[in-house]
Amino acid sequence: MILVCGIPSETPLRMVISRLEEMGAPFVVFNQRHFANCEMRFEVNGQEVSGELRIGERAYNLQEFVGVYPRMMDDRSLPELSNEPPDSNLRNYCRSLHETLTRWMEIAPARVINRCAPMASNSSKPYQSQLIREHGFLIPEILITTNPELVRGFRARHGRVIYKSISAVRSIVQELTDEDEERLDRIRWCPTQFQQFVEGTNLRVHTIGNEVFATAVRSEATDYRYAARQSGEPAELREVTLSDELTEQCLRLAHALGLEFAGIDLKVTPDNEVYCFEVNPCPGYSYYEANTGQEISAAVARALVSGTGSKKEEVGALAHA
Amino acid sequence: MWLVLCSSSDPSGLWVYEGLRQMGIAPVELVLAEWLAYGSQWEHRLDTNGTHLKITLQDGRVLCSSRIRGAINRLMAPSPGIAERAAASDKEYAQAELQAFYLSWLHGLPGVVINRPSAIGLCGSWLHPSEWVLRADRAGLPTPVFRQSGHDSPEKGYRSLAPDGAAILRLITFGGEVFGGQVPETTSRACVRLAREAKTEMLGVELYLAGNGEWTFANATPCPDLSAGGKPLLESLAHILTAGGRP
Repeated sequence: MILVCGIPSETPLRMVISRLEEMGAPFVVFNQRHFANCEMRFEVNGQEVSGELRIGERAYNLQEFVGVYPRMMDDRSLPELSNEPPDSNLRNYCRSLHETLTRWMEIAPARVINRCAPMASNSSKPYQSQLIREHGFLIPEILITTNPELVRGFRARHGRVIYKSISAVRSIVQELTDEDEERLDRIRWCPTQFQQFVEGTNLRVHTIGNEVFATAVRSEATDYRYAARQSGEPAELREVTLSDELTEQCLRLAHALGLEFAGIDLKVTPDNEVYCFEVNPCPGYSYYEANTGQEISAAVARALVSGTGSKKEEVGALAHA
Repeated sequence: MWLVLCSSSDPSGLWVYEGLRQMGIAPVELVLAEWLAYGSQWEHRLDTNGTHLKITLQDGRVLCSSRIRGAINRLMAPSPGIAERAAASDKEYAQAELQAFYLSWLHGLPGVVINRPSAIGLCGSWLHPSEWVLRADRAGLPTPVFRQSGHDSPEKGYRSLAPDGAAILRLITFGGEVFGGQVPETTSRACVRLAREAKTEMLGVELYLAGNGEWTFANATPCPDLSAGGKPLLESLAHILTAGGRP
């Protein structure tokens, strides 16, 4: 039995659900919005983790679950709670239920794609960059500072510099402009992250178990996710094949970070150097699948069904974006 | 130089700082979370070749990674100073940014760092008791049954598993030794295994005396009360800091 958690209409979740249906795999959806109609308990006795999840009228033994795909929104922001006072019983129950589910997923003897603890490396981008560096990737130069003069020097040295959030809170990556420099005094209040702009072709590499899907992204925008807004042209995505060496490097990185499913952001420079910017532990892969036809959702579904490691697929020859 | 990083409300951190100074470890700098939050200037750089940190505190002291040989790290969270000043809608974001920043510079500290941060805790891994119970059992400690339900408040899950009224012992494992109390050797070895398995250099392990007379796991923390370890713990800390630091 597979457990899928989140909002079923959310595209990445919906696509995995569709693949599980096509495979005829038994699965159940914990729809966060129906939390009030669910119950859960678990216990840890020695090395045995057991318990029960009730969804509506049906109860599931937790030991039945061989695969779990949690892709949950912040439960505090569920529409069902929008009119609830801060400490209402419904709000507290929602939090407690999600906490119980999350705690169980951290220790469940199932394949959880992904657990929270390994996902946390992405809560700090420069921290994660240091882990990435330990696995042999080049990383861009980063400066985090409260000193405007250091930023001016950093920009003078690199020419093009971008700034973005340090944490996992989503921000639109922006290039530092002359106009921005005029308001640099504001960073004295909070350390802010600046990063060398690296020229080259963006590559998003999804790893799932031992499967790898590489997508090259051509865009003039600083942040290709917002290409239409930033450059007036949508990004162009196409499937590419990585060299064996780069494939192995990506798989090693994802495994070292404890991630069953990862979205690795690379940039290949004109000199064929490979920079790694980030490893996304909860990749919104549907954008890439929709634009290239790469069957990422099917790989996620296969991994969930297999319960343990997925088979390594042969990937092509040459790193070329 | 060696750093003792803690908050002003952390008696253990202040005790370690005084203890190391009295033992002649020098220079050892006390760096309070509150000092880092207010008026300090930051420069944290990283690239493919390494990591650099320079903090200029309001009192003029400069803490530079090129001179740091190690640290006792008891920072649990950035002091909320800056985040508190943020607009209401930005407070959560500002706090997340500070937490992320601290995780990065603490990870990049050179030398011996006790404890190094992890993605789930600035001074080491803060695991949920359900996970500690699994690990403690694997390490060979007797464990109680842990139970949690959606009807329990989340806070309940983080409480000690010791029954009310039970005799409690709080041990500190560090450098392969146990400080702070006498327990059978099998118990102390299991505590050391637990710390190793959790990749936590210094781990506080709380035990309770069960009805069968066995010291049984109740909780664990990467930020224990250190004073119970007394002089032997201070000597061990001093030895590891000085032997493991850069020449």
